[in-house]
Amino acid sequence: MPPTLTIAKRELGSYFNSPIAYVVICLTQLLLGVLFFFVRSFWQVDKASLAQLFELAPFGLCLLVIPVITMRLIAEEKSSGTLEMLITLPVKDWEVVLGKYLGALGLVGILLVSTFVYPIMMFVFPWKLGPIDFGPVWSGYLGLSLMSAAAVAVGLLVSAFTKSQVIAFFVTLVVNFFFVFMHWIGDHVAGPQLGLVLSYIGFQQHIANFARGLIDSRSVVYFVSITVVSLMVAFRALESRKWR
Amino acid sequence: MSTEVMIQAEGLTKEYGDYRALDDVSFEVNKGEVVGFLGPNGAGKSTTMRILTCYLAASRGTAKVAGIDVFDDPLEVRRKIGYLPQRAPLYQDMSVWEYLKFAADMRGLDEGTFKARMKKIVEICGLAQSLGKDIGTLSHGYRQRVGLGQALVHDPPILILDEPTSDLDPNEKAEVVKYIKQIGKDRTILLSTHNLGEVEQACARAIIVSKGRVVADGALDDIRAKSGGARYIVVIDEKSALSGKAPTEAEVEAALKTVPKVQSLRDVPTDDRAHAFELVGGREDDLRAELYKLCVEKGWIALELRREAKALEDVFRDLTRGDELVARGLSADDEDDEDDDEDDEESKD
Repeated sequence: MPPTLTIAKRELGSYFNSPIAYVVICLTQLLLGVLFFFVRSFWQVDKASLAQLFELAPFGLCLLVIPVITMRLIAEEKSSGTLEMLITLPVKDWEVVLGKYLGALGLVGILLVSTFVYPIMMFVFPWKLGPIDFGPVWSGYLGLSLMSAAAVAVGLLVSAFTKSQVIAFFVTLVVNFFFVFMHWIGDHVAGPQLGLVLSYIGFQQHIANFARGLIDSRSVVYFVSITVVSLMVAFRALESRKWR
Repeated sequence: MSTEVMIQAEGLTKEYGDYRALDDVSFEVNKGEVVGFLGPNGAGKSTTMRILTCYLAASRGTAKVAGIDVFDDPLEVRRKIGYLPQRAPLYQDMSVWEYLKFAADMRGLDEGTFKARMKKIVEICGLAQSLGKDIGTLSHGYRQRVGLGQALVHDPPILILDEPTSDLDPNEKAEVVKYIKQIGKDRTILLSTHNLGEVEQACARAIIVSKGRVVADGALDDIRAKSGGARYIVVIDEKSALSGKAPTEAEVEAALKTVPKVQSLRDVPTDDRAHAFELVGGREDDLRAELYKLCVEKGWIALELRREAKALEDVFRDLTRGDELVARGLSADDEDDEDDDEDDEESKD
């Protein structure tokens, strides 16, 4: 197995060796269920759709789940000293960054897959609440996956700059907050021209396209760009230990 | 012993801003040597080891491990070495077996080779009872053993161990030193420590660093010999003599001062009813014959007369004295003043 996958496997395993994975998955399911069914009155919408799931999920993912998952990635390794042990194994720095990224993304992926229980239960078995168009569901999940990939990369990047998990958590939360609320800021604070730009920078406009069943290549490029740039900067941050 | 150079540092310098952690450090370690890398805290031991293991880059200078430049091919260097960083940082959520398997996977060992190596590692490191335990539940001593185990998992020709006995109790220290001696029979080992007893037990050669510089490098006996004179302990019976009356302390002291080539003389405490003195002579000289003759001439009963090379601990203190002064914010003059004050107090008493 290549070192990248070995690191990813260890990283994913470490989430399940601690309560983090179980707590995050269980609480997310619970919170999502509450939001889904009670807060936004899902049952009063007159069509079989998961649009509201895709509208709400970015907030929970970006503002809670992903900061919790990513805060430990490199910060914990730095503070405990295990980074030195890891990096002095025959492994390249980018393999460490990518391995850790894939491990964290794997947990978010498991979390997203676990939410698929909602459309299955409501529209397939045991309840059949109406004919659902699975096209927007698939594209919505693709959008959430791409957004999660970008947000996890941002969290990893932040974690690469500090030894403190608490700092990593809060900085990731703040950065993600701006990404998630950028469209609101654009709509309510900035002028029309700047508002357009801010809306485009934020996550919500892109997620909304996916939720409608529209796979816009610009949105794909947008999320992939954030992911790649964040991973590259994280790699440089890790590598910079040599020269400082 | 083969003279193939396995570790070579040449003019290594590492600067953190204005602070120079390493200053032109050069040394070589030959194949099959177990070399103690000594120095007080902050002397540059760990920095040197981190450069050798490609964790850090040197600001200037070059380093080669097994003939491979650490800057040109860090992956190949890391394949050749087993490294135990200070305090053996390990993933505490993994079991010992999982962790060693992880290290083996990272080094590309197949399942068969890993299991074969594990038999040896369990035997050498004494991990038979701990394989299924979580690392987080182990004592420091066992964690060090696991750390040693991961360093040995790929059977490397070179081991770099950074203070492998720090935080251990005396029994655990003795065990780890025993392992190091055992595994050092067929490997090149660079062992960083500030525990001099361990060096004397496990190493034939030492490199001493102080304030980022190499201040001594050679066989332990050579370092002791080069760094000061020989020490003599003379103990004279104070109750009786072969002829005449028993000598007083002042008489013994006065007579010992007349022995040629004695550089310094001081009385030392003893439990016996005797006058005990420590003399320092030149490292090339042997004063024992002169001291024996003196005792015979005076009719004194010599209870003890021995010559010993300066202890490594004394040498270490002499060579690294500056580090401690800097840490305490003192200069060499300040310490001389302190010593004078202490002497004055003693003379008043």
